Amino acid sequence: MKIMIWMLLALTPAVAWSVYAFGLHALIRVLTGTVSAVLAEAIYQKVTGQKITVKDGSAAITGTLMGMVVSISTPLYAIAISAAFGIIAGKQLLGGLGKNLFNPMMFGRLFYLFVFPDSILPWRRPFDLVTSATPLEVLRETGQTAGVSLLDMFLGRIPGTIGEISTLALLIGFSLLVYKKFVRWRIPAAAFSVVLVLALVAGQNPFFHFFAGSLMFGAGFMATDPMTSPRFPKGQIIFGAGIGLIIMAMRWWGWQTPGVYEFTEGTTFAVLTMNLFTPYLNRKFKPVKK
Amino acid sequence: MNSLIRGTSVIVVMVIVWFAWSKIGAARLQKQGVEAAAAKTQVSQTARKASLIAAFLYMVAMVSVAGFFM
Repeated sequence: MKIMIWMLLALTPAVAWSVYAFGLHALIRVLTGTVSAVLAEAIYQKVTGQKITVKDGSAAITGTLMGMVVSISTPLYAIAISAAFGIIAGKQLLGGLGKNLFNPMMFGRLFYLFVFPDSILPWRRPFDLVTSATPLEVLRETGQTAGVSLLDMFLGRIPGTIGEISTLALLIGFSLLVYKKFVRWRIPAAAFSVVLVLALVAGQNPFFHFFAGSLMFGAGFMATDPMTSPRFPKGQIIFGAGIGLIIMAMRWWGWQTPGVYEFTEGTTFAVLTMNLFTPYLNRKFKPVKK
Repeated sequence: MNSLIRGTSVIVVMVIVWFAWSKIGAARLQKQGVEAAAAKTQVSQTARKASLIAAFLYMVAMVSVAGFFM
């Protein structure tokens, strides 16, 4: 419970910035995610005759995170259905907290991207809510990282999802979790290192890649989920490096079907793919007792 | 393909894989001499895990390669 409260506190700066930048549209979507996830967990546990555990706060966290990875254009029903799917399929089917294979929120997000691909559009700019392209869309269109102000990206004055636009706000929250020793810092460190090296090799500005899309959010808050990330240092480094590698591959080449799926970011695919390797990494790098 | 069909297709994939895995897994265990009820219990968790992995692979495949044919 304690870690969940700190997690919610760590997410507060990013949500607060979004509410300031996008208005109540942002808050309503975050709350929709939270309420849907909690209700889905309670109803599933009631129906299956299990003890109701929503008070542990994990469903609230999953739902809050789900509400943060959509745009203010996303309809509320899409958020509610995706959060419920993430909780039931991603978490409860395998027996609940601690037994899940995938990060439940990321599983819900993949479902959201697959089922409601258009609902995230159009992207809107903070404050004036004018339709605008995201930095990664600019990169995809022009092949360059020079067209967007890095300061705007760092502060969160760019179009994007509710909880991911401000790197500064995410960093404040992430620092809190590191200070409280609630996160496995090696994972984001490895992911950022790989992104840094690959960006430099490609002749692109690494800070653009740090501040764009959901790298900070995904590597800092999702990949470090204690239930679905490796327990041991070497495993954590490989896990994080894999995430960085997949994210950069997706940013450069992407997987897209013109007119149906046009993703410019691959954090969801990266984290879920590496989640599959977590049991192996835990076995492989388990310290041997002497 | 609209959202309803997409969403339903994910659940159908999960159910098919879960059902097939449960049946095949339980049958294998029974061949090894495990009692039917015990075999079902043993295979239940792995069948659920397999259905989740199948759903993940299905969604990733659909948004990447198979999407071209939709």
